[in-house]
Amino acid sequence: MMAGGKSSAMFRPRTVGEAVEMLAAAHESGTAVALLGGGTDLVPALRSGERSAETVVALRRVLELRVRGAGADSLTIGAGVTYTDLDGWSLSPGLARAARVVGSVQIRNTGTVGGALGSARPGGDLLTFLTAADAEVLTVSPRGPERMPLPRFLADGLAPDALVTAVRLARPGGPQVYLKIGGRQAAYPAVVSCAVLVDRVRHRLTCAIGGVGLLPVRMGEAERYARDEVDWSTGTVSSSAARRFGDLVVEAAARVSPALPAGPRGSAEYRWHAAGVLAGRAFARCLHLTAPPVGEPARGSAAGGQP
Amino acid sequence: MGGEVVSGGIGRSVRRPDGPDKVSGAFPYAGDLRVPGMLQARTLRSPHPRARIGRIDTAAARRLPGVAAVVTAADVPGVATYGLIVADQPVFAATEVRYAGEPVAAVAAVDAATARRALAAIEVDYEPLRPSTDPERVLAADAEPLHPAGNLFREIDIRHGEPGVDGPVVVEDHYVVGMQDQAFLAPEAALVSPAADGGVDLRVATQWLHSDREQLAACLGIPENLVRLTLAGVGGAFGGREDVTVQIHGALLARAAGAPVRIAYDRVESFLGHPHRHPARMWFRHTATADGELVSVQARLVMDGGAYASSSPAVLANAVTHAAGPYRVPHARLHGVVVRTNNPPCGAMRGFGVPQVTIGHEAQMDRLADALGLDPVELRARNAVRPGDVLPTGQVLGAPLPARELIQLVAARPLPPPPAADVTGLARPGGLPAAAEPGRVRRGVGYALAYKNLLFSEGMDDSSAARVRLDLTDDGTPRVRVHSACAEVGQGFVTIAGQIARTELGVEQVDLAPADTAVGSAGSTSASRQTWMSGGAVRGACVAVADRLLARVARAAGLPAEVVEAPRRTLRIAAGEIVGVEAGLRVRLADALAEGPIEADYTFHHRRTTALGADGQGDPHVAFAGAAHRAVVDVDIDLGLVRVVSMALAQDCGTVLNPLSLRGQVEGGTAQGLGLALMEELVTVDGVVTNPNFHDYLLPTIADVPDLDFVAVTEPQPDAPYGVKGVGEAPTCTAAPAIVAAIRAAVGRDLRRVPVRPQDLVDLPTRADVHTAGDASTA
Ligand SMILES: Cc1cc2nc3c(=O)[nH]c(=O)nc-3n(C[C@H](O)[C@H](O)[C@H](O)COP(=O)(O)OP(=O)(O)OC[C@H]3O[C@@H](n4cnc5c(N)ncnc54)[C@H](O)[C@@H]3O)c2cc1C
Repeated sequence: MMAGGKSSAMFRPRTVGEAVEMLAAAHESGTAVALLGGGTDLVPALRSGERSAETVVALRRVLELRVRGAGADSLTIGAGVTYTDLDGWSLSPGLARAARVVGSVQIRNTGTVGGALGSARPGGDLLTFLTAADAEVLTVSPRGPERMPLPRFLADGLAPDALVTAVRLARPGGPQVYLKIGGRQAAYPAVVSCAVLVDRVRHRLTCAIGGVGLLPVRMGEAERYARDEVDWSTGTVSSSAARRFGDLVVEAAARVSPALPAGPRGSAEYRWHAAGVLAGRAFARCLHLTAPPVGEPARGSAAGGQP
Repeated sequence: MGGEVVSGGIGRSVRRPDGPDKVSGAFPYAGDLRVPGMLQARTLRSPHPRARIGRIDTAAARRLPGVAAVVTAADVPGVATYGLIVADQPVFAATEVRYAGEPVAAVAAVDAATARRALAAIEVDYEPLRPSTDPERVLAADAEPLHPAGNLFREIDIRHGEPGVDGPVVVEDHYVVGMQDQAFLAPEAALVSPAADGGVDLRVATQWLHSDREQLAACLGIPENLVRLTLAGVGGAFGGREDVTVQIHGALLARAAGAPVRIAYDRVESFLGHPHRHPARMWFRHTATADGELVSVQARLVMDGGAYASSSPAVLANAVTHAAGPYRVPHARLHGVVVRTNNPPCGAMRGFGVPQVTIGHEAQMDRLADALGLDPVELRARNAVRPGDVLPTGQVLGAPLPARELIQLVAARPLPPPPAADVTGLARPGGLPAAAEPGRVRRGVGYALAYKNLLFSEGMDDSSAARVRLDLTDDGTPRVRVHSACAEVGQGFVTIAGQIARTELGVEQVDLAPADTAVGSAGSTSASRQTWMSGGAVRGACVAVADRLLARVARAAGLPAEVVEAPRRTLRIAAGEIVGVEAGLRVRLADALAEGPIEADYTFHHRRTTALGADGQGDPHVAFAGAAHRAVVDVDIDLGLVRVVSMALAQDCGTVLNPLSLRGQVEGGTAQGLGLALMEELVTVDGVVTNPNFHDYLLPTIADVPDLDFVAVTEPQPDAPYGVKGVGEAPTCTAAPAIVAAIRAAVGRDLRRVPVRPQDLVDLPTRADVHTAGDASTA
């Protein structure tokens, strides 16, 4: 197959049932198996030898995984849905926004939701958004379908004979903002990302930060602060609250444990700082500020000066 | 000669002959080559930056089915080491590894997966040693030598004028430049076939076929004529293919296996496999009079050469001799060392030592302008060198070098409109994800002026040979065949060579023979030299062919002996004919060639220079090219995100042979300088590269690089064919400092490190602040 390993076999199931059978068979016979979504993560890993697989189960032809749908209060997105499919989805503008800023057009055309969950990269754009969205993950294995909160899915990992079929999240109840930064103008993996979702009905604001921990982290204290500060009847908040919200995010980001190990792009201190700025901005863009935005929740003198 | 009548001659924007294939994907790069029965090679590299090697056991790897050959240091029949200037780098580490990524063994197997398994089966006993990775420590008296040749590759101390003379206005600071990589898009690759005569044939992507051949022959222990190289498609080079990488390993494997071997790196291996741009730590002290005339410049440079010499000694010479920039400096003391560490080896990269010092001298000029209350353009213009000036090396600057004109020209270009309050999408710093807040974005404008030497320096006679043959095709049309070993790495020699031949011989059909070692050396495709040097060789050979043809015609027409001796005075080639107006002669080229083809060889030499002597004095550089950039940036001052809004460039280009090709060079040079300013850095931790991939080593994309507003100054360069100058390097030297200056202007901070990172532009919380704050808020 494409990875050059001569002993690997490629299976192309047409239904989730067939896919599960293939996984189960491989599992029983003890062969190393990999699920293939768009292959944007898996193929490079197989090529470089970082991963190896004797059997590859390609999910592209499983049409039931490629649907996205809306119920009365939830949205369900199949594991085979691509970023391009999500971009422009009017039922979930925040998710559409997060999908639109993933990689390049080639990656968006092929990369899937299932792959994003399977890889669970610390700075994965979808992961940060879904973390803020309290998403649930739907999986299927020979033991039947299962549904679990995203954090549990990420903590426990997927059973070797299971696959992700979909993610489910609530229909938006207010503004949603997704922001990321990463070192150039386009086509970059996030160094820090931030999702803020407002639910005007349930009087809730949720915030997740990617790029400070091994996985995106919820900012519980800042969320509680927001719940208490926002005037939910009008959706307004004081501009000083945006600043405070950002400061709380900086403090929480700095306490995340285990922290993301220092990498080549962005010191830990910068990532905490940027998390605060992004969160403050996302907060301000989701809500009406009662005073004109005089500034940002930046620390220190914004104008700079001699360091 | 008949340039005005033949189409596709010099001065025209002739398209690249390989352009359509490159754009459509049909162009065969070295890594695309395949032959039946070919083996796949892989290289085993040290994970340790420094370790003693106890034992290398390849028995298990050799036993694996499908493995055809395993080679280590023990299998090198000739000289055990190689190198561009001094052969200090082992073909394979034998007893000690000196950088993380150093080759220890290589295997050839029936497929890549088997080769990979074979690598895993090789057992190497490493005894890790403490690496020396701080270039400022390795010269200490008690520092351990990291190699039998010691830790100093070279030291240069230039003394100019009188010591201790200072002006009243002083600026002084330290600057750091990170390790940029050439990051060419097509990784290293060669296809190597053993030959029946005991020799070896290579098709390889390289910058200098003959230098590779010399090193290959020495290490293989066979005569050079048994080592034959042909250039394969090169996907970028930028200096990163000057050093040998795959060549010797591939040849050893092919000879051991008795079969053709494809040796091709993946991206990670490419990042580890070739030398990078030298990181530099620099200190500068500039003094000036109260009205802004430079009085003295002092510089101390420490360049990290990594584990092996590569071209470090020559890079240092460039850095030190250019350290004061293109300015009149009455008194200077410019000192530099390039040292050995256990970091990855560094060598040639576009600009070759000059981009580093330009970061320093241009930051100093801006700070001097601030200190003097002068406009930065005015300060530069006032101090710009002029032909006839004595440079710090004692070299008298030749003409042309319109430094002052360049900075004034670029400053006069129209500025882009100010940032709009409602900017969206890609126009915001950070782009589409819209993290930037328009109200928190500040605009800055910055300038840089630099000069860069052209061709090899310090007494090197890096000549170029070419062979030109004029004959008739089967249907009787005149045709020129140009044979040069010049490595086409994207710079456009394949286009220029045709333009020159068409111009000189008035023949439209020009075929370029493959670049190979069957013809004399063309020298390296580096140092902005090939249009000048190999262009000069092609021109010289064409002129010789034309002279012989004209003499033949003169002789046949029974013209007097003095005409036959110097036929050019009477006859010329124009529009496929040989015309002698006074002699009333008109002969079709095709008829003149019916008697047989004409062939000539020509070797082009540049003027002789001298090595740096005592006190760093001499006449080291053949010539220079100047460039000035103006950068306009927008910075989100809370996030430290930078967007380059516009770039303008005025460059000293000599005669322009191909405007389109020139534009390609200056746009590419600008983009590569932008990368150095903002994002391109190989980050090492204790000698280990942490980001050898394109997720973490970021290159500018089309969204990062604005349209270039470019003005060429085209004063011809004497002694160069048609008056050309090399154009590829100068803009790389000025783009980065101009961008840094613009950021400095936007954020009001002095910037001492390149690439400039977002974290350098904002005030960061310390661990202590956030932990105290956190405790307070939870309390
Ligand atoms: C150049 C480039 C740029 C990128 N930029 C970004 C970026 O900006 N932001 C970002 O978030 N990501 C980025 N990525 C990462 C990647 O594209 C995404 O995370 C993508 O969603 C992976 O999806 P895929 O379908 O291609 O996954 P695959 O590569 O097919 O699979 C990835 C992993 O998930 C597993 N898997 C696949 N489908 C399932 C399933 N249904 N159930 C369980 N496991 C499954 C696979 O076995 C594998 O382990 C980039 C990648 C590249 C190569």
